[in-house]
Order: sequence, then structure tokens, then C-alpha cells
Amino acid sequence: MAGLQHPFQCLRYVNRQSAGQSDILIATAGRDLYSYDASSGQRLDVWPQPVDANAEDKSSDAAPASESQAPPEKRRKLSSTSEEQKDAKSESKPKDSNKEASNSWTNIPLVTVAHGKYVVIMTSEDKCVRVLSLDNEGKLQQLSARTMPKKLSALTLTPDENNILTGDKFGDVYTFQLIPSGEYVKVQAPAKSYEPSATNLTVHTKRNLESLEQQMRQAALSKTNQAERVVLNFEHQLIIGHVSLLTELISVTRPADNTAGKRNYILTADRDEHIRVSRGVPQAHVIEQFCFGHTSFVSSLCVPSFEPKVLISGGGDNYLLVWDWLENQILQKVQLPGSEGETTVRGIWDVSLAPTADNAEPVKAIFVALEGSSQLLCYTLESDNTITHHHTLQLSGNVLELVGIDSRGSILVAVDTLRQSDSTSAWKSSSQPPLESFRLSSGKWIPADDSMVIKINSEGTSSLPTAIEQKEQKELNDSMYNLGNLRKRGDYDE
Amino acid sequence: MATQKIPAKRMKREEYRRNVQAQQESTDAVIKMPQKKFFRQRAHANPFSDHRLEYPLSPAHMDWSSHYPAFVDPDTSKTNLSGGRKLTKEVEVVDIGCGFGGLMVGLAPVLPDTLMVGMEIRTSVLEYLSSRIHALRSQQQRLKNKAANPSSTEPQDASTQPEGTESTAPAPSNDDEIGTEKIFPGNFENITAIRSNTMKFLPNFFGHHQLSKIFICFPDPHFKARKHKARIVSESLNSEYAYVLRPGGLLYTITDVEEYHHWVLRHFLHGEQPEGAAPAPSSKDLFERVSEEELALDPCVRVMKYETEESKKVTRNKGNKYVAVFRRKADPEWPA
Repeated sequence: MAGLQHPFQCLRYVNRQSAGQSDILIATAGRDLYSYDASSGQRLDVWPQPVDANAEDKSSDAAPASESQAPPEKRRKLSSTSEEQKDAKSESKPKDSNKEASNSWTNIPLVTVAHGKYVVIMTSEDKCVRVLSLDNEGKLQQLSARTMPKKLSALTLTPDENNILTGDKFGDVYTFQLIPSGEYVKVQAPAKSYEPSATNLTVHTKRNLESLEQQMRQAALSKTNQAERVVLNFEHQLIIGHVSLLTELISVTRPADNTAGKRNYILTADRDEHIRVSRGVPQAHVIEQFCFGHTSFVSSLCVPSFEPKVLISGGGDNYLLVWDWLENQILQKVQLPGSEGETTVRGIWDVSLAPTADNAEPVKAIFVALEGSSQLLCYTLESDNTITHHHTLQLSGNVLELVGIDSRGSILVAVDTLRQSDSTSAWKSSSQPPLESFRLSSGKWIPADDSMVIKINSEGTSSLPTAIEQKEQKELNDSMYNLGNLRKRGDYDE
Repeated sequence: MATQKIPAKRMKREEYRRNVQAQQESTDAVIKMPQKKFFRQRAHANPFSDHRLEYPLSPAHMDWSSHYPAFVDPDTSKTNLSGGRKLTKEVEVVDIGCGFGGLMVGLAPVLPDTLMVGMEIRTSVLEYLSSRIHALRSQQQRLKNKAANPSSTEPQDASTQPEGTESTAPAPSNDDEIGTEKIFPGNFENITAIRSNTMKFLPNFFGHHQLSKIFICFPDPHFKARKHKARIVSESLNSEYAYVLRPGGLLYTITDVEEYHHWVLRHFLHGEQPEGAAPAPSSKDLFERVSEEELALDPCVRVMKYETEESKKVTRNKGNKYVAVFRRKADPEWPA
């Protein structure tokens, strides 16, 4: 495996056994989305298709790599092309859309899977939410592409998996249908000529009056010249807003208990230390609670599937908080390694494994990774809803992503293939395998010999060009390790 | 600019403010009303920037004891999560963007038993209001003492000042010193001012359903469409106001900008729907408009319309005032 390869950024395990099909592993690396057969590790599809149609999996280093050499086309504003793109999509011409879609992003930081047959991704630079179908053979085909007004920091689904929920850098949470139904007819506001909202009754100073006069003149001149910006050109609803950068968004269902029926909630976190508990759609405008306890930004929220009353949160503080989140009650403060102001939580994952021959008890594991750290902290959730640290796993590179595979009783960990262990900037000279696998053996997580992982690693991901400039390196580093930017600096303006 | 010599105006301003500070710290001096001209500040602040803000970790950590010394619970064992003394009652009225504090000062005697706080993001303006409240309280105290012992001079000032020169407030020389000769109920002990960015940190100060009234008076209109996202009224912020406001509580708005008034109405009330269609669920479900008849009986509306600093300015300039008050409805039932 010569040269450097992109690490896996997102992993999702798609359990399809109930539907009588084999499980699929979905992964993103660089600008590509992969699907693998979860039992053999056989690569089933890559999206977008490499430009060279003959390119087999093995020769993957040629095609996508050359593409990624070109600087990404960064589109800040919604251009008319995105509209055209959308129109093209709705006519469902998958081949065209695949071609069109190429070359406008460098990574896919957000992925989720709906109903086991739709993959929802956000491609980063073009801020596009794309829904792809995942067929029985694991083939990926784009169904729709919807451009958001701001880059997303979180992407999830409503509990029924029929609607997408997005959280963006501007603090807004939108919801829209997974599969757009029918044509979206934008309610056209009657064309109204521009009129300054200030009048000589509300502004008085000489300067303000002058500028008001100017505005009036301008308004008279450009009666028709009002180019309306195309924002969110599809049916959507703005349901929650923070005046802050939204960092995380999760959707939680609390099962019925003796006080209330089954209830849905949306938990949102922001850069200003807040965790907000809102009701689920359609009542997301009702805020039920705030969870106060962090003194730095919050970047990770985890409500374990096996204990929906509990929330584990982390971010820029060197501790985790374990909550009874509906009551704003801190159950436990868990110290993390590292000093205040340096430790950043990259991810918190819950993994539940059914009892196996090795482990009589069902496993309720919580894993925590710190930003730019090659260690994986392993905890278990106890019956009193606190977590206990068991041990720490050392990996071959920085931990980027984790997914539990209940059917095999194991976890898959994506490690950084580009940067040296415990560094977010110093590069390796050659890549290591992007995936590691562990299984639980008498209470300890030990490396597992998994033929699937060996197969995936042997094929690797798309390669980077052999000569890569410092500037591009930095861009790649910044897109992979961006949580540090959330920290508040000391230099404020008054 | 910092290396240049300090302009004379700023020198004067800084000297004045130091004196005000010194006056407040000494116990025996008679506290004069601060003068607004030394505290002017640009009328806009960026609500999206971090600023150097102090805010409590949570409402349970907020130490109000220094703000309302007259309402501190005598039981010293009662403390909040940050160790401060508790109050005998909760704060329940907030003026968002209180500016120079005309509303707070006007409302203090109207609701003498209600704790009220003005929140303002601009430091100088806040400093003025804090000095003003401090001065008002001490003046009330002196007037009260005088009323209690009409024959003797004030016990505190007797040694230093003969009565009638300094202590009976000097002839009012400007707007700020007028109208405080009389003893007011509550002695202004029930109002205070805090620097905050409520768009970000309102829930850090107030718990679920804690407030009975929120005032939004003459908010920054942010005329440009590009700046509308910085407006203090929006559907998502209204959700937060609903969180801190108790059902039945009132949210008062007043503006002199007609377009902003329509903006307010549009963001608190459902517009006309095409026939048969139910309005999309939103924070508008949580508010209803209060009728004109009811407002005519509400003394708070009068204070808001005529006693805030900005409303006086609008009156002087013969501008219009648009009032809209909304009542917090109960939360909807959970969907079955």
C-alpha cells in the first residue's frame, strides 16, 4: 500500500437481516462514499463513480486522486447551478447527476441511514444534503440534492425516519422530507418594490437623513432590479434556532412510562455551552429544558439506545457530564485526561452487544475519543446510570469514528491514516490501514482478527496525490480537526 | 489610535466616571445623579460576537443578592449554587435592551413589590443605569430619613453638611435630576441592571416559566434586510421567551418603526391562511395578542409609552409609537 490514503471519516452499519438481506457497512473517505458487504468486506459500490468508467476497485488510486488535485470549488452563495442541479435530479437521471456532482467537494463529514435503504449525506463545500438509494446489491444512486443556506454541523432523522433534521453553523435547525413529495411550488410573495423601513420620523441625525434620502433615490431607480436570492428551494421548516453555532443535534424517543406516553425530543448543543431539550416535531418550538453544566462549547451528545433517560455530553471541557437530561440533573462528572483548555471530545458512542459465549451479560459500552488522540477510552454504563472507566485502547492512529456491530459482537474504529498519532498536523510518510476491529473478551476489548476488516483495509480508500502542498495539507487537517476553532479566544470586541 | 493622546472629551468622561465611582464607594458623601452625556455609546452592538460577558452557569447559580440588598433572605443558611445569599422572592420582570433605564425607573414605583431587571449589552449605558439606581436608592433613603425626623438633620450627613445646601438635592439642572424629590413606594430597591446578551444567555438567568413580564422597548430596528437576523424578535427567539415566561405572562413590545411593528406582529401571530389550511406549527402557537381595552387599563403600557428614554425622544420628534402586547398561552398538549 504505497502512498497516502484518505482515512474513513464516517462509518454506519446497516442492519438488514430482518429484511432477509446481508448487512452493509457505509463509509466515507475523502470525497467518496463507499458501501461494503459487512460479512465479507467486499466493496459493493463507490459514489460518485470514478470518472474513468473502466477503473476497477484496485486501480482506484488513479481516478479520484487526480480529481482531488484540483482545488475544491467553494460556493458560498447559492448559485443558479444548484437550482438546475436540483431540477435535473428530480427528473431522476442518476447518471447525469453523478457526473454533475463531481468535483465540488472534498469530504463528506455527515452521514445517516434511513429505513436501511436510503443513505443521507452532506457534502461539505457545496452544503448539499444528498439522499441516495442503497439497493439490495449495495449500489448507491443519488435521488435528490438539496442545498442548504449554511454548512451543516449535524444531520439526523426524525424517529419515523421519514424526515431529515439538520443543524447548521448559524444555529438553525431545519426539517424536510427524506423523499421530496411532488413538486415544490415556492409561494411567491407579491412583487413589492423596495421601500426603506426607516422614515424621517425614526431617523433624525443629518447623516442618517442623508442616507435615507439616498435609499429613497435608489429605490426609485431600481424598482425591478430585485434579484431574489434562492434559498432553500424545496419544502422545509425552520423549527429551532440558537443564536450561536450549533454543534450537535440528536433525536431521542423516550418510551412510555407510568407518567407519560411515548414522547419524542430533539436535543441540540451549541458553542455557548448550552444543551437544549425541545419537543420533537411538530412541537419543536416548545423548549422543555436546558442542561447547564459545561463551561466550554459542547460538541458531542450521546443518549444511549439502551438507556434513553441518560445523556452523556462532552466538548471543550476536560470532563464529560452524565445527565438525567429531562430534569437538568447532573448524575456524574467524569474527568478526562489532559488539562482544561486543551482536551476536546471528538466523539461519544454507545454500543450494545447481546450476550455471547464470551460474555454472559449484555454489553452496555460507551466509547469516548478525544480530538487528535490515538487513545480510545472505554466505559460501561452501570445500573445506577453512571459510567465506569474500564480501560483505554491504544490505536495505530488518531481515533476518528467508531461503530458497533452487534451481530458480530465487535466494534470498528476508523483511525487517521494521514497524520501521526496524537498530532493534528504532522503527517505520516505512508498510510496505515484505516480500520481496526476489537471484540470483548472476558471484560476487555481486544484486537479482533476480522476477515472483513482485512479485506477492507487491503483495498484501502482513494489515494492522495504523491506530491501534496503544505497549503492543501493544512486544508485537509482543518477539515478533519475543526473542533478547536469552537473555543472562545480572549480577544473580544466591545 | 491608542497611542495618540487621549481626546479631551474622553479625558473628561473618564474623570467624571472615576468621580462617580469614588462617590459610590464612600459612605457619607451625597450621591448625585449621574449625567447621561458622560455615558453615551454607539447605539448598536453585535449580538453574534462573544464580547466579554459574565453570565451565571445556570439560573440556580445566579447571585442576585448584591443587586437587591433589600430583598436578601435574612436566613443566612439559604444560599444558591454559587454560594450567594438567596432572595425572599424571585425576579420576574425583565426589560430586554433597557438602555438608560427609563422603563425600569418608571416601573419601580408602579410594581414596588416585584423584582425587575434591565438587561443591556452596552457597557457604558449599563454603567450609567447602575449609578442612577444607586443614586436613586440613596436619595430615597435620605428623603425618608428626613421625613422621619423632620426636626433634626440627617444623621449621616449632619456632621459634614449643613442641611439645605447639598443634601436636599441641588436645583435640577438637567433632565436626569428631575422628579425624584418625592418618596416613591419601593425606594427603587426592586430594580437593577445587568450586562448581558439576552439573545444568547437569557436562559442562564431565568428558569422555566419564571417571568411574568418581558419588555422589548424600541429595539434596534436593524433596518437593512441583511441585518434582520440580528433582530431581537424572531420565531426562534420567541421560543426562548416562551420558555422563561409563565403561561398568562405578558410580553410587551413598542417601536417607532412601522415596518418593525409589522415584523413583530408577523413573528408572534399566525397570518391569514389559505382556506382550509391549518397554520404550520411554530412558536406563534404559544402567544396571543392582548386587546386594546385591556391595554388601556395596564399602567405598564403607559410607562412604556411615555417614560422610557426613547419614547420621550420619539415624542419630542413627533414620531409614531406602535404597541403590541402578547400573552403567553399554555403549552400545547403532547401529541398522542
